[in-house]
Amino acid sequence: MFKSITFMSTILMATSAFALDSPITGNVSSKCSIFTDTAGVYGNPTPDELSTKAADGGVDPVVRYDVTVADKYKAKISWPNSFTSSPSLTDAVNWDGETVVKSHSVSGMSAYEGAKVEYDNHTEFDLTLAGSTWFSIESEAKYGSAKSLPGGEYKANVVAECIAK
Amino acid sequence: MKKLYYALAMMLMSVAVSAHELTPTYPVIESAYLTGVSTIKMSLWNRRDDVKYYEINVYDVDWNLVDFATTERLMKVEYLERKSFDIYIRDDDKDKVEYICTVSKQLKEDVKSSGIKSRICSRMK
Repeated sequence: MFKSITFMSTILMATSAFALDSPITGNVSSKCSIFTDTAGVYGNPTPDELSTKAADGGVDPVVRYDVTVADKYKAKISWPNSFTSSPSLTDAVNWDGETVVKSHSVSGMSAYEGAKVEYDNHTEFDLTLAGSTWFSIESEAKYGSAKSLPGGEYKANVVAECIAK
Repeated sequence: MKKLYYALAMMLMSVAVSAHELTPTYPVIESAYLTGVSTIKMSLWNRRDDVKYYEINVYDVDWNLVDFATTERLMKVEYLERKSFDIYIRDDDKDKVEYICTVSKQLKEDVKSSGIKSRICSRMK
């Protein structure tokens, strides 16, 4: 009796062990990611000016856009037109800037630079290809009529937007 | 030696880069459990180590704000945290909704000389 129970249970154990596939599943869905690659730094080349240009002792901020599916998003990047924090200023600040394609992961993205649309302090790029694009943003602030900027800390924000089409 | 430089470069790249993600690109409006209210499900992933707060906004096709309700309009999302959130819209307003955006909000002390504010907008289809 004991032998037959052992035999039966061995058969049952053997049938319950079977090979199982362990599939790894994935899904590429449309999405846009904005990466802050380099935070900008203002240089102070003259007493009345702040600039992120390397020649002026600054660092241009760099943002990277990753899109997983082509032609679903547009990038809108705005250089600053006001300080988010600064010492008290009694005169107007004249702002200027430029946004350019710095590098890209797909050769066709080189066309983004020629097709960009600029208005006010904004630049729009149509992200027609999937992959990564790096944008460099230059910012300059000139104070009043050649007045020296008051001493203190100055901060301004670049706005990087990714808008679904 | 070459391997060491490569490993060092990869480490520096992984430290320097941070990101903001909002999905889905094209959300759908569903009926909520309340009558007269619809809901939209969204998800945000914060890979920006310099940002902990994100603000939600809903716009129409002309970028005018549309009234909505959610648990937190200004939500705290820790670094590497993925946060799902529901947006509630009155049925009367649901046809107006065009863009759902999240924008990074930095604390004053976290902003470097020229900080980067990121905004991602999904669009209704």
